[in-house]
Amino acid sequence: MVEPSTTGWIDRRAVIDALPLFVPVVPFGFVIGLAVSEGQMPVAIGWATSLFIFGGAAQLAVVELAGTASMWAVIVAGLVINVRHVMYSAALAPTFRQQPRWMRWAGPFVLIDQVFALVMLQTDRPPAEFRRYYLTVGLLFYINWQWATALGLVVGPVVPDSWQLGFAPPIMFLGIVLVSVGKRAHAAAVVVAGAVGLVTAGMQDRLGILLGAIAGVIAGALVEYRDEVRS
Amino acid sequence: MSTWSAVAIVAVVGLMTYSMRAVAIVSLADREVPAWAERALRSVGPAVLAALTVNLAAGGEGGPSMEIAEVLALVAAGGAALWRKNLLVSLAAGMITLWVVSAFV
Repeated sequence: MVEPSTTGWIDRRAVIDALPLFVPVVPFGFVIGLAVSEGQMPVAIGWATSLFIFGGAAQLAVVELAGTASMWAVIVAGLVINVRHVMYSAALAPTFRQQPRWMRWAGPFVLIDQVFALVMLQTDRPPAEFRRYYLTVGLLFYINWQWATALGLVVGPVVPDSWQLGFAPPIMFLGIVLVSVGKRAHAAAVVVAGAVGLVTAGMQDRLGILLGAIAGVIAGALVEYRDEVRS
Repeated sequence: MSTWSAVAIVAVVGLMTYSMRAVAIVSLADREVPAWAERALRSVGPAVLAALTVNLAAGGEGGPSMEIAEVLALVAAGGAALWRKNLLVSLAAGMITLWVVSAFV
């Protein structure tokens, strides 16, 4: 990453980093808005999933299932999809140790896939700079997500399918994975997580993410242990 | 669906989602973590991102599946990322490959 601006409340570098990840989120927000307008939840409450859950896949599951499954089934589906956030929290815990208490409580609220991916490349920064970057990216996604889903309620999906913007996130995440891999242990984690993730890609509720990640973490930890023993 | 059960769903899923995002950050902050756990934590980021990438690219019920254009787009993006170490270049390479190959296949 290029050297950022270090003054002011907003990290300009964070805005530039977040934009390419945010563009593909907009049509997804539209899809959720449309699902809310067609679903069985009262529209205002359906839209409030953006405010309070703030996680596209889980919101979509909740909105789609509401009224067609039992209340607990809807809740469990939403939670299973979001379980990966526990791992994001664990991965960032060492970095957040240097943050003030208010940041440790408030920061996680906006810890979505894209925010996690972007800030993982910034964990070496001084605490104050990391905080500004994190909050800039997090609030940018949070605010934009609100209007994107609201707009979806009104105008529906206007971006043509032929643009295939739905495939932009995996491309972006792949780039982040490859740019950030440094040590042998990380490479092992990536390869094993990817392989297990591929085999389990067909599982319900995106459980494959969890299984792939667990396998990758074990592989990475084993390689790191072996490297430490040797050196 | 009643208004109250909708409110309950959003409240519970919202609260639990926040808890899952906060649990490790808040609870590990003032604690010494054993060496094996530190090792595991350092691999969490790369492993989760790799699994997420694969699942987003090939996931869905009914087993892994991808179009040839998608596979080539990932190859191009991956190559560009390793070569230039730049996310925008990687994204551009992947999306352009996706559009071009889709137009011809």
